[in-house]
Amino acid sequence: MKTLVIKNLKKKFGTTWAVRNLNLELEPGEIFVLLGPNGAGKTTTLKLIAGLLHPDEGDVVINGIDTRKNPLEAKSRIGYIPDEPFIYSKLTGREFINFVAGIYNVKHDDYEKKMAELFKRFGVGAWIDGFSEGYSHGMKQKVVMCQLLLHDPQLILIDEPLVGLDPKSSKTVRETFIELKNQGKTLFICTHTLSFAKDIASKIGIINVGEMKFIGNLDELSKISGKRDIEEIYLKLSEESVNETIP
Amino acid sequence: MRDFFLIFTSRINIILKSITTMNAVRIASFIFVIGCFLAGSYYIFFRLFNYLIAVEIIGIALMDRVIEMGFFVFFIMLLFSNIITSFSTFYNDKELYFLFALPVRPTSIYLSKLFENCLYASWATMVIAIPLVVAYGVTTEAGFLFYPLSILSLFIYLIIPAALASVLIFVILRLLPQLKTRDVILLAFGFILGLTFLYIKLNNPTILKVFETESEQELLRFAANLTTVGGGYVPSTWLSNILKGLSVNSSQGIFYFLLLFFVSMSTAIFAFFMAKALYAQSWLLIGEHSSNLSKRKSLLTSFRSGSTKTLLFKDILLFIREPTQWVQLSIFVILLVVYIFSLRRTPIYFTFPLWRTIVSFANFAYICFVLATLGVRFIFPTISLEKSGIWIIGSSPLSFRKIIMIKYFFYVLMAIIIIEGLLIFSNIFIKTDQRIYMLMPLIAFFVAASLVSINLGFGGRFPQFDVDNPSKIAAGSGGIIAALMSIAYVGISILILATPAYHYLATTYLHRPSNYPLIYLSFIGFFVFNIFTIVVPLRIGIKALEKRDF
Ligand SMILES: Nc1ncnc2c1ncn2[C@@H]1O[C@H](COP(=O)(O)OP(=O)(O)O)[C@@H](O)[C@H]1O
Ligand SMILES: [Mg+2]
Repeated sequence: MKTLVIKNLKKKFGTTWAVRNLNLELEPGEIFVLLGPNGAGKTTTLKLIAGLLHPDEGDVVINGIDTRKNPLEAKSRIGYIPDEPFIYSKLTGREFINFVAGIYNVKHDDYEKKMAELFKRFGVGAWIDGFSEGYSHGMKQKVVMCQLLLHDPQLILIDEPLVGLDPKSSKTVRETFIELKNQGKTLFICTHTLSFAKDIASKIGIINVGEMKFIGNLDELSKISGKRDIEEIYLKLSEESVNETIP
Repeated sequence: MRDFFLIFTSRINIILKSITTMNAVRIASFIFVIGCFLAGSYYIFFRLFNYLIAVEIIGIALMDRVIEMGFFVFFIMLLFSNIITSFSTFYNDKELYFLFALPVRPTSIYLSKLFENCLYASWATMVIAIPLVVAYGVTTEAGFLFYPLSILSLFIYLIIPAALASVLIFVILRLLPQLKTRDVILLAFGFILGLTFLYIKLNNPTILKVFETESEQELLRFAANLTTVGGGYVPSTWLSNILKGLSVNSSQGIFYFLLLFFVSMSTAIFAFFMAKALYAQSWLLIGEHSSNLSKRKSLLTSFRSGSTKTLLFKDILLFIREPTQWVQLSIFVILLVVYIFSLRRTPIYFTFPLWRTIVSFANFAYICFVLATLGVRFIFPTISLEKSGIWIIGSSPLSFRKIIMIKYFFYVLMAIIIIEGLLIFSNIFIKTDQRIYMLMPLIAFFVAASLVSINLGFGGRFPQFDVDNPSKIAAGSGGIIAALMSIAYVGISILILATPAYHYLATTYLHRPSNYPLIYLSFIGFFVFNIFTIVVPLRIGIKALEKRDF
């Protein structure tokens, strides 16, 4: 069964379309990387899938569950990390992780062991027991990564995962994504970091002004655009679309 | 000074923008509520003063005493609210990181923050103080100049508690920089409470004794014994002397006006120099402490399964870790306990059972209004306060219906504990009639269930996810709509219940024939009305949150 099926998804803010006619299908074990300039509609797309925004038209189906008909059931299959992962400033990182596990109804069995493993992997230090108001962006990223992996979703949605991470942590994150993919999870990642897409993506999408300009793997991408380097491909595709929109 | 005006005008612009972007319904309901409040307080003061002035011989003296007491209470209230808000405006506001990074003097930041703080802390008091002054002017038939001058004096008066509160906070933080936010606010309160207690002990305000006097002889003696509150050294006395002087066109009014002006300016200048010496330095120190990471144990340090428990524990933790929340609740509770104990004397003043029953109805209405206030202040903001976690809640398999219902049952439980506790103790002190004593807690149960529903529902319908401070959320336009609805609910309930209450009194004490069908009908009406006020607001809130884009 497909993990994610998006059909004709549309979202309008006021009079401007943030997402227009989006179609996408993702299988288990795929890493989909969505590229696009600022304001292209990446965050909007993720929030539509996560159920934080309501689409104007179209359907999102997760593991065969229609998000309109059965939103809670669908939400229990996904894990979402926003670009600015706010945490209640008067909770510690550990309390926040326990809070999320609680609302996702995580099972008790090997919870503590799993948490200790994750802390070790992401280099979580003693700061996890301090109030999150004193955390750096990277620390918050680590907390929300741990939270996400603890409730173990089938579809993982992450907005700009590398912002604020040091080189070592970003390598860990990359390895974790590959590992998740090998476990059969589906990842949907938005980013500006092109090298990241090149390294881990099994499918790449390029979006601009709310429209998907391209979906395919790296080889198909270079065939279409006639370029080899992903940076050149990206610049060419997003430039075209900007030109198109100026009448 | 130039940078002060820059910050100042940018702040005014923000306020203006937030007003102009409100929709017409909100502006209209806002004006309506404030208008009702102004008119209502004016009417009450006008009636009170008219009554007092008609009392022979001592009328005027009594009225002046009431005014003096009023201004003194305002002074204490202003100090309290300035202290509560000043810690968050001067130290805990995210905007400060931006302001302190600008090439502006810390004193300019101080002045603009002082203005903001004074505005937030004082507006509610002014809504009562201005009608009081106007009613005084009308009752004493003062000249036209009375109104602008005395209202100007009120504004000058506001500066003193605002400046004092900021100095108090600066000094405490300077002397004890290790203190946590919570301790700073507690210390400040201890200080103010101590002063108030001393003041009351030393002055022994005998004004209440007037109810116990019977003969004219005694009244005369009483009037002669009335002393000036605070012996002329507190600003509240000057303010009441300004009113007194201005109303009869005596030069005394101008003298006290100048005195108040002089003292107010001196306080402000003193606070300015204290801020110059202490503010920037203490702000930096506080910043260092907040990043200090220490191991703590709490309700959530180990994993709990079950979303209901987790959500409640999270709410409780955030509440007890936010001093502006629980300190304000504690003050409310302390004031209420004082109120309840002051009822102990009711059976002494009112020996006739009919009067005691009437007092118990008034007490019931008062407690309902208190619960409405608590609801707007503490329950209305609870949805807005989810702001930093709304992404996790919105994308989790926890429905908004469930979140609202969990919060609903929790707050209803709290509200019932508060309202039933207040009712039972106050009725014991009043020595209320047995049957009413049994019935009131039952009615209070519905009042709690409805008021929580109204505040939670409208909190979900009009959330403000961009505001940190719960007092500011409650004072926003959505909070004012919730306040309006709560007050309307209490008003309508009391109107419905007035019928059976009247018939009960008439039957029991005046031996009129009883009208049972009407009494039962009223209770059924109350019940139906409450089903509506419990179900509908909750539904509105849930639907609004489900439809909302985050
Ligand atoms: N809540 C909102 N209200 C109005 N416009 C929005 C909102 N969120 C996003 N937009 C607009 O939708 C477009 C897409 O934004 P977004 O999805 O955040 O882009 P990206 O994440 O690719 O940078 C932008 O033009 C943005 O201004
Ligand atoms: Mg984005």
